[in-house]
Amino acid sequence: MNLVFYSGGEAEENLSLDKRLLSLKGKQPLTLTLIPAGSYFAEEYYQDIVEQYGPLGVSRILLFNIDQAFSEAFKRAVLRSDIIHLGGGNTFYFLKHLRRSGMLKELKDWVQAGGVLTGLSAGAIVMTKTIHTASFPDFDRDDNDENLKNLSAMGLVDFEVFPHYKNSKRYDKELMKYSLEKEGPIYALPDGSGIVLTDEELSFVGRSFCFLAGKKYSIHK
Amino acid sequence: MGQKKALEEKKSYGKFDRLDGSHPFKKVLPKGFIDYPARIRRGGKLKYFNYDLAKEMGLISHDHPNQMNPELEDKILETFSIQIINEYDQMKNRSFPKDEVKAGTYMATRYLQLQHEDKKGRTSGDGRSVWNGQIKHRGKTWDVSSGGTGATRLSPATSKFNKFFETGDPSISYGCGYAELDEGVATALMSKVFNANQVKTEQTLVVIDFGNNISINVRAYQNLLRPSHFFMYLKQDDYKSLKAITDYYIDTQREKKSWENCPSNKKRYDFFIRKMNERFAKLAADFEDQYIFCWLDWDGDNILMDGGIIDYGSVRQFGLFHYEYRYDDDDRYSTNLIEQKSKAKYTIQTFLQLVDFVKNKEKKPISDFASDPILEDFEKIYEEQKNLNILHRIGFSSRRAKQLIKRHRQLVEDFRKTFAYFEKSKCDKGMQEIPDGITCDAVFSMRKFLREYPQIILVEGQWLDDSDFLEVMKSSFASEKDLEINTYRKQKIRDFQATYHELIHEVSKIFQEKEHETLMEIIKRSNIINKSARVTGDSITIIVDKILNRSKPYQTDELYELFDLITQSQNLDPDIKLNKTPQKPNQKVMQMISIIEEHREGL
Repeated sequence: MNLVFYSGGEAEENLSLDKRLLSLKGKQPLTLTLIPAGSYFAEEYYQDIVEQYGPLGVSRILLFNIDQAFSEAFKRAVLRSDIIHLGGGNTFYFLKHLRRSGMLKELKDWVQAGGVLTGLSAGAIVMTKTIHTASFPDFDRDDNDENLKNLSAMGLVDFEVFPHYKNSKRYDKELMKYSLEKEGPIYALPDGSGIVLTDEELSFVGRSFCFLAGKKYSIHK
Repeated sequence: MGQKKALEEKKSYGKFDRLDGSHPFKKVLPKGFIDYPARIRRGGKLKYFNYDLAKEMGLISHDHPNQMNPELEDKILETFSIQIINEYDQMKNRSFPKDEVKAGTYMATRYLQLQHEDKKGRTSGDGRSVWNGQIKHRGKTWDVSSGGTGATRLSPATSKFNKFFETGDPSISYGCGYAELDEGVATALMSKVFNANQVKTEQTLVVIDFGNNISINVRAYQNLLRPSHFFMYLKQDDYKSLKAITDYYIDTQREKKSWENCPSNKKRYDFFIRKMNERFAKLAADFEDQYIFCWLDWDGDNILMDGGIIDYGSVRQFGLFHYEYRYDDDDRYSTNLIEQKSKAKYTIQTFLQLVDFVKNKEKKPISDFASDPILEDFEKIYEEQKNLNILHRIGFSSRRAKQLIKRHRQLVEDFRKTFAYFEKSKCDKGMQEIPDGITCDAVFSMRKFLREYPQIILVEGQWLDDSDFLEVMKSSFASEKDLEINTYRKQKIRDFQATYHELIHEVSKIFQEKEHETLMEIIKRSNIINKSARVTGDSITIIVDKILNRSKPYQTDELYELFDLITQSQNLDPDIKLNKTPQKPNQKVMQMISIIEEHREGL
């Protein structure tokens, strides 16, 4: 299984992570599909992704909006991509439409079959077992406008991620409290950092933190 | 706010005072309008104010915050919340306090309208609106008029019943002089979206709500004259007025860059007809290709002189090529999407008759102009625009499209023919009645196809088989029967794919790039041009209904912000780099986008 978790930030901040991602797929040319969290301004987001990955050798990039109708033939083409990138946005909205479109399961199967799945912010969260981390802290959270009750997500890993983390007391307080309620680790990722998971290893790019059982650990400096 | 600042701000709204009913048209054509005194109409609440437009017009400063304040609100209401003192009021000797009566008079212009029995424009024109005036700012001239300011003698009701009506008379609907709030708000949104996508259109400046779905809707455009303002004099054989209005129009247009080569002598009329021809031929192609339903007819109403859209009552944008749709206007059906071209062409034929009359002082029958070379040009311009449009819709940039047409015109036209076969396919269930007319649903969504197909072949690297091809293209209206594959359709699918791939191949050859690079360029553009959640008339109706029926009514600024965000999401121009970072959508916006997506294939 090959997964890459991005926190967020500008394209330049994520260059190291991008390179690690592309090293997972040796062959060229590569095909990447962007699945944005929502189709609102997805076309502009797509342009950014083309600008980000194009110069790194990803020459074929698709845009697949799952909150809109799509054909089976298009979905098949998407699932033939080398990399699928789940974009950032509202995590609740994203999960709702991943589920509704049937792509939640399709993507899980695709990952098991060898596809490289990456996610940024909301996209990273939906790759984990639950999207709870999108709902706090109060000062920096996604609104659950969809009134989604079932927050279980893809469950590809046994940890949770907290993107856009800022190394400050008020974030730490919330995360430590949350980690007491949870069994597994919560990886808090500042913008520009991320996690690369392969069959062989779990590695961190950039400065990252772990919250576990009410404690905070610095993982990578 | 400090007193000084308030005073300064108040002063800066002084430009509104120029909208006092005065307009140069009054001097040019004294017979072209009915002039009405007006009084202030109380009880209105500002529902919508278009800050961007007001800035462009110079009514507020360019750095004015998009935020209402009491001074600005008062000024808007003072300027636009008016009601004419009409013939009925005068007959009843109604008097109004002096300080309630506006200093200026406001014109209701005369123009031809097919729904009037007279058919010559002697009784028709602005039936429920008056012109507020004209304003100039940074080289642009803006005409401003308001709908819902009272019943004029030019309404169909007065013509039909041969009597004057009291404004608001509940015994008649269309003709009572009031405008509808839902129509005003819908026009504000749709015209804002169209304007942002370079579709020429009137724009809504202000909507004032009087309760019970009654409103005053203020529109602005750079010239609010319609062909029907001209055709009226042609029908009446009134040479003097016809020449006066034609000269007036040409003179106003000459101030614009696109008309700077217009001669000042008699040849100006030839220049005028060429300009009109070019505009209407392109418009006919653009309306068809953008699925814009705008009821064009012989009277030259419902359209502005430069092809701008006016009167949104029946204007729609379809999600698919529902070309059989006709609007039911009680006693007649409208033209349909395909017939718009012949009506646009007939408009030019009428202008040919008009120009000939103006030049020679003798009116010839319109049939004399049926074979005029200008109309051959119309066909050529129309065809050229259709070629450019289809390539634009695929996703080719203007530069690439021009090269393709220059070097491979036949290929482009072959593709267009096959494309039209699918685009025009109608559902087997046939014509159906709908609330405002009749229609027959389209089988295929060409916009969806143009968005998905290049992405599929970028990955698959080969043609789609027949069933996949139709699966990608089918609309939600398509039944199994509609998607049957016969020999003819098989051939069409082959033709479509062959010509599409050939276009890609030829472009990559011309621009010396790999085919996947050409496809990537197309994908980037076609995703925007053919975006799924594009507004339709249906979605606008539902959005407006949601807005007006919300338990907590939208405030002026809130509504403006909502429309602004919806409009931003509707950008269909891949060459525009949005200068604003899109905000994270809030629930209200997402709700509206969902409505747009849900009704993306509707009327």
